[in-house]
Amino acid sequence: MTVGNVFFVVASVVALFGAFMTIASRSPIRSAVGLLITIVGIAALFLMLNAQFLAAIQLIVYAGAVVVLFVFVIMLLGPDAGDGEGTVVRARVARYGAGAFFLLLSFGAAHLVSRADLSPTRFKIAPAGHGSVEGIGTLLFGSDVIPFELATALLIVAVVGAIAVARGKPHVRHQSKSASPTARMFNGPLMARDAQRPLPTKAERAAKAAGGV
Amino acid sequence: MQAIEALFPAHNYTLLSLIVLLPLLGAAVNGVFGKRLGKEAVSLLALSVMFIAFALAVVTFFALGHAQEGEQAARFYWKGWEWFHLTRADGSTSTLDVAFSVDALSGTMALIVTGVGFLIHLYSVSYMAEDPGFHRFLTYLNLFIFSMLVLILGDSLPVLFVGWEGVGLCSYLLIGFWFEDEKNAAAGKKAFVTNRIGDFGLLVAMGLLLYYTGGLDWSTIDSGAKNLLTPVQVWPLGSHVPAASLLPQGMENWVNMPRYVSAATLVGLALFLGCAGKSAQLPLYVWLPDAMAGPTPVSALIHAATMVTAGVYLLCRLSFVMVLSPAAMAVVAFTGALTALFAASIAFAQHDIKKVLAYSTVSQLGYMFLGVGVGAFSAGFFHVITHAFFKACMFLGAGSVIHAMHARIHDTDASQDMRNMGGLRKYMPYTFWTFTAAWAAIVGLPLTSGFFSKDEILLKAYTSFIKIPSAALADGTGGSMDVFSWPSWLGTALYAMGLITALMTAFYMTRLYIGTFFGEFKGWKIVKNWQEPAHAHGHDDHGHGHAHHEPGVPLEGPTPHESPWQMWVPLAVLGFLAAFAGFLNAAPLHITPFDSWLEPVFEKASASVQLIEGAEHFELPFLGLAFLSFAGGTGVAYYIYVLQKGKPAQAFVEAMPGFHALVFDKWRVDEIYEEYVIGAVDSLAEFFAWADKWIVDFLLARVTSFLVSTSGTALRFIQTGRVQTYAAVMVLGLGGVGWYFVTPRAEAKLESNDESGVYSLTAPQGLGYSYRWDLNNDGKWDDKEKFGDRTQQSLNLAAKENRTIRLEVKNAFGRSAVRSFNFARPAPDRSGATSRLEGDPGQARRAPEMRQLQKPQEMK
Amino acid sequence: MSSLGYFVEQYVLLAGALFTLGCVGFLVRRNVLVQLMSIELMLNAVNLMLVAFNRQHTADLNGQVFAFFIIAVAAAEVAVGLAIVLAFYRLKSSVQSDEADQLRH
Repeated sequence: MTVGNVFFVVASVVALFGAFMTIASRSPIRSAVGLLITIVGIAALFLMLNAQFLAAIQLIVYAGAVVVLFVFVIMLLGPDAGDGEGTVVRARVARYGAGAFFLLLSFGAAHLVSRADLSPTRFKIAPAGHGSVEGIGTLLFGSDVIPFELATALLIVAVVGAIAVARGKPHVRHQSKSASPTARMFNGPLMARDAQRPLPTKAERAAKAAGGV
Repeated sequence: MQAIEALFPAHNYTLLSLIVLLPLLGAAVNGVFGKRLGKEAVSLLALSVMFIAFALAVVTFFALGHAQEGEQAARFYWKGWEWFHLTRADGSTSTLDVAFSVDALSGTMALIVTGVGFLIHLYSVSYMAEDPGFHRFLTYLNLFIFSMLVLILGDSLPVLFVGWEGVGLCSYLLIGFWFEDEKNAAAGKKAFVTNRIGDFGLLVAMGLLLYYTGGLDWSTIDSGAKNLLTPVQVWPLGSHVPAASLLPQGMENWVNMPRYVSAATLVGLALFLGCAGKSAQLPLYVWLPDAMAGPTPVSALIHAATMVTAGVYLLCRLSFVMVLSPAAMAVVAFTGALTALFAASIAFAQHDIKKVLAYSTVSQLGYMFLGVGVGAFSAGFFHVITHAFFKACMFLGAGSVIHAMHARIHDTDASQDMRNMGGLRKYMPYTFWTFTAAWAAIVGLPLTSGFFSKDEILLKAYTSFIKIPSAALADGTGGSMDVFSWPSWLGTALYAMGLITALMTAFYMTRLYIGTFFGEFKGWKIVKNWQEPAHAHGHDDHGHGHAHHEPGVPLEGPTPHESPWQMWVPLAVLGFLAAFAGFLNAAPLHITPFDSWLEPVFEKASASVQLIEGAEHFELPFLGLAFLSFAGGTGVAYYIYVLQKGKPAQAFVEAMPGFHALVFDKWRVDEIYEEYVIGAVDSLAEFFAWADKWIVDFLLARVTSFLVSTSGTALRFIQTGRVQTYAAVMVLGLGGVGWYFVTPRAEAKLESNDESGVYSLTAPQGLGYSYRWDLNNDGKWDDKEKFGDRTQQSLNLAAKENRTIRLEVKNAFGRSAVRSFNFARPAPDRSGATSRLEGDPGQARRAPEMRQLQKPQEMK
Repeated sequence: MSSLGYFVEQYVLLAGALFTLGCVGFLVRRNVLVQLMSIELMLNAVNLMLVAFNRQHTADLNGQVFAFFIIAVAAAEVAVGLAIVLAFYRLKSSVQSDEADQLRH
């Protein structure tokens, strides 16, 4: 019963607990916290696996940016961020059925794998510098420099795209005088269907959720 | 005359083209420009074209007469162009030309057509003067004359057929001239369709003639006619009739055996079918009475004088073919006599003056066919000519009467009803005297034309028959064929039918004559200086169906008027000819220029026409019988309708109302056709309508579209637009893919070599696959039931040996699959160059050539 | 017990469990934000598996570099995804994935 074993067990339990909290919480903020817990647990496991640099990156990027983003959005959405009222039984059955089917698949795969005549392989001693900053850096700026640069470009594109999508229209624009399709495409509702029906109020949405699908 | 002979030699007689094309020119100009030219110009053009054609026909007639000074039949020929050139498989050729020729027969006919046609054109100019379709009428008339001339002057059957169809077309156009009234259009349609049924016969005959004689123009048919005496085997129901096996042996053979008819009989019957359609014989006569819906000049020209005689002309033209089949000739004669009798019976009960004349036409046509059928071609043809005169005269006279009736009664049916006429001889003297001449001819007053022609036919019906001379039979390939022999009773039967018909003709024609011209006028109350009431009618209001007078008040009207000169001059000409043209062929008086004129034409045919023993002794007695029939018929009619004022007729109608209704309804033949023939077509159409509605529309269209739309509705269920749904479906797919990867497959590749007996199996590779074999199929796995890596096995089989091998495959997930394979090595092929090895016969030695590989069966 | 944490199979099992949790969360939850978080869970599970296998085959660091790139791309994806959620919220005033059925038949 070494430190390593304990560390592994604790980290795994933490990760699993966090995952469970993510998917099972009613409130989204709790889900975000659960995600954070999972990420921390995974970072701990990375440490166990001689991936120091990656553990650090995981914490900085995931825990420090992604989860923060989630929290910001939950804050922006306010009370609407939570789950809605009850749904139609048929839809709920469908969703839970799909989830249960996947669970079944998962258990089946695990069972099959366990039946294979495979002997477990233990880790060997890792060479020095395995997972170190220098090692990763050598690869990133050496043989993997092209994916690295492409990832950079991807990040820039993502930034621009996020800004473009999220900016939206804070003011309500009046209908443009010109009736050309292009003008109508950029001003006004996205679909003719939405032009005819206004967005439902909270009360209407409650009624619809109770009675409809 | 020499000038004409020099200008127009016999082999290139261009006048023929002129005769034929002039009416066509008139029709074309009148048809295209008629409305603009105006009535005078149109009538002038139409009449002058007809007159010139008639003049040219006269010139041709005399030229022919001059050329026929010898015994040789003169024939003038003009070729337009070569139309078809046919080459048969054996290299022989036939040529069909657009060519016209005229000989004694067609020259006479051309005279009649153009002459009577001209008179009727003149008549129409006055009769149709107030009709808005005046120019159209004269166009159609000219077109008709053109077609008729093509028909009679054609040198070959195809050209004749062009004219045949052309007169059918013009008949349709002219019958339905007042087409706004549906009744008239329907009558035209009926005429055309009935004609068409007959045309089928004519086409079949043309095909047969082309086959047997090698050509379709008169000279080629003539030279090849003896080929028609070949027998043709006909199996009416086939040689293996399905139900016949249930019959006793003798009857079954009788049903299945072939019948032998000579080709000549087939041709003759087919030709007669065409004639039955065109010339209104049983059973295709039904269109002629309906054709009275057309204007009266049309009835006179087409349905009395010319078109309906085209059938008789055809049989006369092909007389040398017809006599090759006594059976067909007997059919022709008998049908003609029966038609004559049948139509005469219907005419007894009709009230419409034109209908009586129509049935009389059918009856007289029957006479013509009777004459032609027994071989008296020139007698039958003479009756054509005399009938043209007196029937046209009677129709034109009826038209004149109707014209007078139209002054007050505008309804078509009422103005033609004899019960509204009477006593018209006081008011219409010209019409009356010319009609009297025609009446005298048709009832057979001695020394009139009708008397001579009808008497000749009746005599020949009894005394003449067809019998092919044995020399001609031997000339043909008759051989093993039994030629139909003329029944001995046929002559008597034909004569009896003809005589009774003559009696009936005399009766009903006299009834018509008395009813129209004698007695009191029953149409309206004649008021001197009668004025037309306020609302004016034109004389061309033929479609009115209501009387313009208050019921209860007797109709008042003007004095019936005589017709203008354009109408009674043709009547006079025709009446004169009807009375005196008989002397052209007065056989009892032995004045027969007509017969001798036509003798060269019928020379070939007359070889097969024979007279019974002592024929000349029957001449005078039959003359007496003919006179008795005339006297009896007219006398009885006079007694009933003049002396007794029609009371015995009334009593007969009251005593036997059902029978009278039957005869009045034309024996309900039209209704039978409507019910069974047209009804069958209607049922077929209804069946197809049902099939279209329920099978094509419903099953093929609606049910399939319903299936597609239902499956679409079902499939649309998963198109929710939500990503979660799609993810769920992806998970399902993932399950399927995972299952595929996780199951092991045990298909092995086989290689078999039947020759050497070496068979090998190669097991498949896969993730973590291990194998277990059972080579000797003892139920236990080899190698102590351990899984190994061995993927390939091969075995040797002896000949004719069977072996089953099992393979088990296990994959990395511990799942396994078992398969067994069966190998059978066939016996070696002993054919070819094999040598037997000593010792084991089942071993080793095989044929050098490769055998068909037999795939070993696989079982799971 | 002395073998816990030193066998690659354990890490594979753990990663599988995390992945299953993430996938079930995606299939079951209606909230779009929770669905995005479930996607992040799945990505993390894959990262774990990559790094574990890289620890087993230590010849080079390809597994970790791959995981590095996954983290980068996941970050970008979350950014854009949340922007889309905001745009969607502006349209429908809700973050229920049931409302996103514009492509419904």
